[in-house]
Amino acid sequence: MNPINVMVTGADAPVGERLVRDLLQDSRVDRILAVPWKEAAHLPQDERLVVVPVDLSSSRRVHELLFGKARDLKIEVVVHTQLHRSAREEGGRVHRYNVDTMRGLLSLSERHPSIRRLVLRSDAAVYQIQRDLPVLIAEHHPLNMSGSAPQWIRDRVEADVTACMRMGMTSLQIAVLRTAEVLAPGTGSQLFDYLESTICLRPAGFDPMLNVLTIQDCANALQRAIHCQAQGVFNIPGADTLPLTAAIRAWGRLGIPMPGSLLSPAYRLRARVTGHDFRYGMNRRRFHYSGVLDGTRAREVLSFVPCHPVEWPAA
Amino acid sequence: MPFPPAVAAALSQAVLSPEELARLADLHYHDAGHGYDAFGMHPSFVSLGEVIAGPLYHRYFRVLSSGHEHIPQYGPAILVANHSGNIPLDGMMMWMDVLLHTSPPRVVRAVADHFVPSLPFVGTLFARAGMVGGSRGNARALLETGELLMIFPEGTPGIVKPFRERYQLRPFRVGFAELAIRHSAPVVPCAVVGAEEQMPQITTSRRLGKPFGIPEVPIPAVPIPLPVRYHLLWGEPIRLDQEFRPDQADDPEIVRAATVRVQAAVQGLIEKGLKKRKGVFA
Repeated sequence: MNPINVMVTGADAPVGERLVRDLLQDSRVDRILAVPWKEAAHLPQDERLVVVPVDLSSSRRVHELLFGKARDLKIEVVVHTQLHRSAREEGGRVHRYNVDTMRGLLSLSERHPSIRRLVLRSDAAVYQIQRDLPVLIAEHHPLNMSGSAPQWIRDRVEADVTACMRMGMTSLQIAVLRTAEVLAPGTGSQLFDYLESTICLRPAGFDPMLNVLTIQDCANALQRAIHCQAQGVFNIPGADTLPLTAAIRAWGRLGIPMPGSLLSPAYRLRARVTGHDFRYGMNRRRFHYSGVLDGTRAREVLSFVPCHPVEWPAA
Repeated sequence: MPFPPAVAAALSQAVLSPEELARLADLHYHDAGHGYDAFGMHPSFVSLGEVIAGPLYHRYFRVLSSGHEHIPQYGPAILVANHSGNIPLDGMMMWMDVLLHTSPPRVVRAVADHFVPSLPFVGTLFARAGMVGGSRGNARALLETGELLMIFPEGTPGIVKPFRERYQLRPFRVGFAELAIRHSAPVVPCAVVGAEEQMPQITTSRRLGKPFGIPEVPIPAVPIPLPVRYHLLWGEPIRLDQEFRPDQADDPEIVRAATVRVQAAVQGLIEKGLKKRKGVFA
């Protein structure tokens, strides 16, 4: 089998960077086109690696990238990992970054001379969590289509659904990987931001099951999706499934139960005062009801099994 | 939970006998990491559940169990029983009975109504002892991993039925039969005799339950359950899987007929239990 050429967006973020490093170790991959948003000095130097910083919120730049450098390098697989990480920022620019970029990549890839596969890193946050839905979340689980959901979630759902809608419409193979929350700094993890506080307030009387992923496992799943021919949606769970209180304890924090109605204003105040990103309103449901990704399909089709547990500071 | 599993384990060690603790150490479950299964069950809380339910089972309700040899020692199965008593102590006694009469011990996964997981504290404690919310996805996932399910097909209308209608089954919902056929799981009928007299009911209120999404809240005539004697009668497994192919789970008539059959089996066990017992408290 000939080695393939891969383009990775979001190469300045932890998952994208890790994926680029893993691909450099992968003998089945020849050239790698890493696309960070800005200059990414921390990416390794390698003759197989080409780094092209591009602001993907501009459709013109995306076009120039795909029909410029990507065409010259004969890119066959595009891995799109770039999503706006901050829940604080909203508006048209963020939407362009999250959704329009995805839409542009799709339509351009469909008519590209060398691209045959697009792998989108989506997010478990697209799923609806509520008391009457299964704890184990399969790929056909209802999505959070609520109009009252924050833009952070709405954009992710729209990008995901946009990719899903194009599956099977053209010869472009599309794989959507709905990854569990990556519990690491710089990934946009709401839970990581929540656990940054010494005292973690939580809803009294509830202790839902959570599932979290590591950067290594996330990059590993994306790498497997690059080499697979299968299309469709794949849940990517992490190796850690535990209740919220156990996560708080394992992170070395003090969990204080409070009535749920007080948590939203408390965390709104925290966000205003300290600039933290965590929004309780965005996480209310999953702080009450369990939601754990069912990775059966990823195991069967991608042979992906999470094997890198989180290094819990106080475990 | 307000306390970690280590506290639950310490409480269990203080109360349960070394033999019982050794028996519970053999408990089989699917650890999803950190000692919990994906649904939140933890063996230390199962032991704590025995600490809580044990005195009620042995001393308060003095449960007499018969036919428990029909409870499968391994593999998927659905335990189906009548539901009554205004508070779900019948489920707790069945949970305890299965734990005591299986070796290695098995935790029956009670499939509760949707509102139960949204009850603060109670929902979490029940989940730690094996309860799951009543969605088809949860039941499917558990049967596929060979778990034992406990379903009360009468649902909330069964548990809140008036005292004068005791031991008259409400129509069974068909979901359990569909699951049994689709997943080739035997159905073990069970009659709970005694629970229907534990808390005679004055009336029910829809308004009281509204904040928690509970369809009806019973208003009982007594503040705590009466010390009735429980009789649990387990029937022979009904092998729907040997009569029907999994794809026939989509046939409404087959599923309805299978449901009626299981309901008749439970009703038969109830009548047997009522004839057998010497009195409500005896």
